[in-house]
Amino acid sequence: MNEEDLKLSPDAFEPLTKDEREDSEKIAGPSLSFGQNVWIRFKQRKAAVISAIIIILMMVIAFGSTPFINNSTLVKSHPQYANLPPKIPGFGAINGLNGKLKQNGQWVDAYAQNNVPKDKYFIAGTDYLGRPLGQRIIYGTKISLIVALVAAFFDLTIGVLYGVISGWKGGGVDNVMQRIIEIISSVPNLIIAVLMLVVLKPGITSIIIAIAISSWTTMARQVRAETLSLKNEEYVLAARSLGESSSKIAWKHLIPNLSSIIIIQTMYTIPSAIFFEAFLSFIGIGISAPQTSLGVLLNEGQKNFQFLPYQMWIPAIVLCILMIAFNLLGDGLRDAFDPRGQR
Amino acid sequence: MKFKKVLTAGAVVLTSAAALAACGSNNSSSGGSKKSINWEESAEIPTMDISKATDATSFNQLGNVTEGIYRLGKNNKVENALATSTKVSKDGKTWTFTLRDSKWSNGDKLTAKDFVYSWRRTVNPKTASQYAYLFEGIHNATKISAGKAPVNSLGVKAEGNNKLVVTLDKRIPYFKLLMGFPLFNPQNEKVVEKYGSKYGTASKYMVYNGPFVQKGWTGSNLSWKLQKNPNYWDKKAVKLDTINYSVQKTPSTAYNLYQSNKIDAVMLDSQQTKNLKNQSGYTLRNTAATFYLQYNQKKKLFQNANFRRAISMSINRKALGNALGGSNTPADSLTSKGVVNYNGKDWSSIVGSKEYSLYNPKEAQKLYKKALQETGIKNPSFSILSDDTDAGQKTTETLQSQLEENLKGLKVSVSNVPFKTRLSRSTSGNFDVVVSGWSADFADPISFVDLFTSKNSNNNGKWSNAQYDKLIADSKVTADTTKRYDDLEKSEKILLQDQGITPLYYKTEAWLVRPDIKGIVYNGAGLNYNFKNAYVSGN
Amino acid sequence: MTRYLLKRIFYMILTLFIVATITFFLMKLMPGSPYANEAKMTPTQLEIMNKQYGLNKPIWEQYLIYIGGMLHGDFGTSFQYSNQPVSSLISARLGVSVQLGLQALIFGVVVGVFVGAIAAMKQGTWADSTATVFAIIGKSVPNFVLAVILQYYIGLKLGWFPIAGWGSFSQTILPTLALSVGPLAETARFIRTSMVDTLSSDYIELGKAKGLSRTEVIRKHAMRNSMIPLVTLIGPYAVALMTGSMVIENIFNIPGIGEQFVKSILTNDYPTIMGVTMVYCVGLVVILLITDIIYGLIDPRIRLTEKEA
Repeated sequence: MNEEDLKLSPDAFEPLTKDEREDSEKIAGPSLSFGQNVWIRFKQRKAAVISAIIIILMMVIAFGSTPFINNSTLVKSHPQYANLPPKIPGFGAINGLNGKLKQNGQWVDAYAQNNVPKDKYFIAGTDYLGRPLGQRIIYGTKISLIVALVAAFFDLTIGVLYGVISGWKGGGVDNVMQRIIEIISSVPNLIIAVLMLVVLKPGITSIIIAIAISSWTTMARQVRAETLSLKNEEYVLAARSLGESSSKIAWKHLIPNLSSIIIIQTMYTIPSAIFFEAFLSFIGIGISAPQTSLGVLLNEGQKNFQFLPYQMWIPAIVLCILMIAFNLLGDGLRDAFDPRGQR
Repeated sequence: MKFKKVLTAGAVVLTSAAALAACGSNNSSSGGSKKSINWEESAEIPTMDISKATDATSFNQLGNVTEGIYRLGKNNKVENALATSTKVSKDGKTWTFTLRDSKWSNGDKLTAKDFVYSWRRTVNPKTASQYAYLFEGIHNATKISAGKAPVNSLGVKAEGNNKLVVTLDKRIPYFKLLMGFPLFNPQNEKVVEKYGSKYGTASKYMVYNGPFVQKGWTGSNLSWKLQKNPNYWDKKAVKLDTINYSVQKTPSTAYNLYQSNKIDAVMLDSQQTKNLKNQSGYTLRNTAATFYLQYNQKKKLFQNANFRRAISMSINRKALGNALGGSNTPADSLTSKGVVNYNGKDWSSIVGSKEYSLYNPKEAQKLYKKALQETGIKNPSFSILSDDTDAGQKTTETLQSQLEENLKGLKVSVSNVPFKTRLSRSTSGNFDVVVSGWSADFADPISFVDLFTSKNSNNNGKWSNAQYDKLIADSKVTADTTKRYDDLEKSEKILLQDQGITPLYYKTEAWLVRPDIKGIVYNGAGLNYNFKNAYVSGN
Repeated sequence: MTRYLLKRIFYMILTLFIVATITFFLMKLMPGSPYANEAKMTPTQLEIMNKQYGLNKPIWEQYLIYIGGMLHGDFGTSFQYSNQPVSSLISARLGVSVQLGLQALIFGVVVGVFVGAIAAMKQGTWADSTATVFAIIGKSVPNFVLAVILQYYIGLKLGWFPIAGWGSFSQTILPTLALSVGPLAETARFIRTSMVDTLSSDYIELGKAKGLSRTEVIRKHAMRNSMIPLVTLIGPYAVALMTGSMVIENIFNIPGIGEQFVKSILTNDYPTIMGVTMVYCVGLVVILLITDIIYGLIDPRIRLTEKEA
């Protein structure tokens, strides 16, 4: 279309009224704070919301069980019910959930074999001392969650702070701080854990201390690297030249931009903390009896995998659900904090 | 387009890997001539130096690649090996062995001097042999180890090439059994000197005179083999060409390998035992080992015999055995089952009694209350120390559960530590209750009861009983066999009556061994595995 | 650059020295003795044995001897294997672990980059979701559980690869797979996130606007920039692989250094524990140095800052 063809004349244009003019410039939505923005964006991610609910539910069950599942319940054994597979009322037709176990290629009713009363049901089966596995899994989840949360806590406090300071200050401070990190992370955390178990008693405290000493270094390193590149960004320079205080820059500009890395890293810390605990129990120096953890249960289960597969599958599935929920929640949080990466 | 190229390259690598793998699995099947077997060992070999060996793996290897005066046959029967005849003096203190002509694997002639050299080397404090104590009773052995007598004053000498004369300080009733233990086998001085500190640290730094020679052990690797020794004096009796060894640390892996015919024998863990009980090839190995509880007698609580009895009665040993594996049997004596047969009865059934392994929670509760009154302790609690192995953890967990359930108000914690840490904590008395195990060095009850004399360093709980000490001392000097056994019987009964220790179970290993492998001699005490006459049957 | 390198190497040595010192004294705190049968040994024997291991000297002297020996690559004599120098124990097994670790790392990172890149490019499709779920599950299953499953189903039931052992290449496949799943899943997620970020940045839009083809844009801009942060992950991967290898080597009967390490912990073999710790540290420190150098090479912004330091 040619301009001449339109045959526009000045009459065709009318000036806007004052009201209308201002309307087009007006910002319709309410002014939102950073936090509100995050919340709105987070709510839009269904998977993340569901994950958050699952995690909260698991925490409620795990921590809420404390009055019911404690040392004295965990310590009770029933040798006559040892190593029974899951049996759930109403699932009589499904092999694997009806108390039957595959032996030499055939499904055998383990409950009948061991003369267990008909009305006895173990939803998740039992372990080698006849203790209900379901009970132990709930307790184990609690311990694993504690380990995970402690690790995440140290990551978010020491790790982030250390990384930001190191990256932001640069120069000599950075140098010294990096050397310290190098030294800490050059000692395998297993060594630290083993020594803790010697100095203190084996158990959750030693594992937590070992995690406190070693877990945050990766976070600090990553945050530092990102801070180093961020601090040369134009907007940070601009903020600096406008005379903003360092702490304000850190809070307003660095943290939001770091959030994606921080969240990803935290989500990496949680499974690795749980794995670390599981690994300690694999080589036999983890949580001590009668306490248990998902790691201990998994390790116990993998030994009998060929004959009692449920002892590994059930804790593995619980761990997977927990992990998937943490990951999806992490994704959701990241997208919420850092809209650039939004799909 | 680089992206795609790399992707295809990756795929090529993967497929070629799969192809390689396919080749690999084809030619590694164990078919062909059936003169070889694939055996598993549960740990690496720490050393092949006779004077330095301390563990079952080393002694099993040494017993099959070296030859001594005797060799242990079925049921601890002592058979002539290098000895052709044995003369014992009337007082039982001088033994003269006539040796046959034989050769080392490097062609050197083997003489009585090689025995003298080997024994002197072991008792020499400079060698720091941790097993030198077994020489106790041979003239001057203890003094030499303590650095108080010259090495050449040891009571052993060579008369010519074929005569070995041993003098003892006192009669040793089980001396013949000792002579069948690899620790007393000869060593070739020339070879030891030649390799110096490298001697016994790899297959190539060794010389052999047994049915087999070892190949391919480099010091810490996980697989090696034994091959038939062409210089062995009785090579006609050796039917296997090769024994391929691999170290198996994970029971499930080992069983997978067994199922795919990669190994021919596998030791089973508890669940495997339960499920495979009826398979052909299921074999029980009585290890001549007893596991028991020791109580720290420095603590007031454990000085009370009623308390110790209460503990013993609250332990359901059958359930414990089931938790550990179907094959362990409840123990009611210290001396393990199958160690000695005396007057047609197993020694453990002579000294043991059902009451020592009885599970009686009611009686236990009574004794427990009584003990608390007697000691005036209100809130009893203690910790059980054990190894951090699977069996160790299951033992403590089961005991903790049973004790807390049956003895109301008792608090039991568990402590599982590495084997050597457990040993050193036991030795230094740093424990409340410790789960210990003892496996006989030689098939005689003294190997067990000697442990709990007041001054014995293995008596970790420091339980002490004057009459017990006297009986053991008497048994060592008497020349009368009946009296000796009487003394040993009485002493062990005292120990059990007082619950100085609480026996838990006799360790019995469950194995799957391919049924066509025959002729393996297994003994719980002394040399465990003797492969000399093993063979693979035709079908 | 040379000055920077020299400086870094100096710090590396300092780090190692401090680590050696700390481990040495911590080991001295550990209970237990090197002897299997201490109770049955005479005092003379013990004395001679302590002398052989140098345990009769005051601790500071032991320390000097240890550090001195270490400079010559001598880590002392193992407690569990009589007369075996720790250095030869380590050198016999190090190669195996390095091979396993490298295979797992390369396989994990390469496949992870592809999976992540595909997920990012096909954002929101089934391919993306599949890759995401796969990556999450890969991260959620401890590698010893995975090892057991692989061994049972692929090794025993299907018989595709050997169940255990070390020697042929085919025997390395299952352990490599089990070990690589962690880094693979991690890389895939990282690359996906990072590439989604990159794909929405201005210069990518510019590239598109210039009329570059999609593959061209991805190859020239998106990939390179997405991979930069990956380099920082290699350090943690190395640590994870070291820890992982201890478990995997145990399950698959692999004569590697991780397996050795676990055994020496369980037998209180202090010289070996210290030796292996030092080897791990050296490995880690070198890897960190290399990643820093690479980081500097591919991201010029970092190099500038490092020079300031």
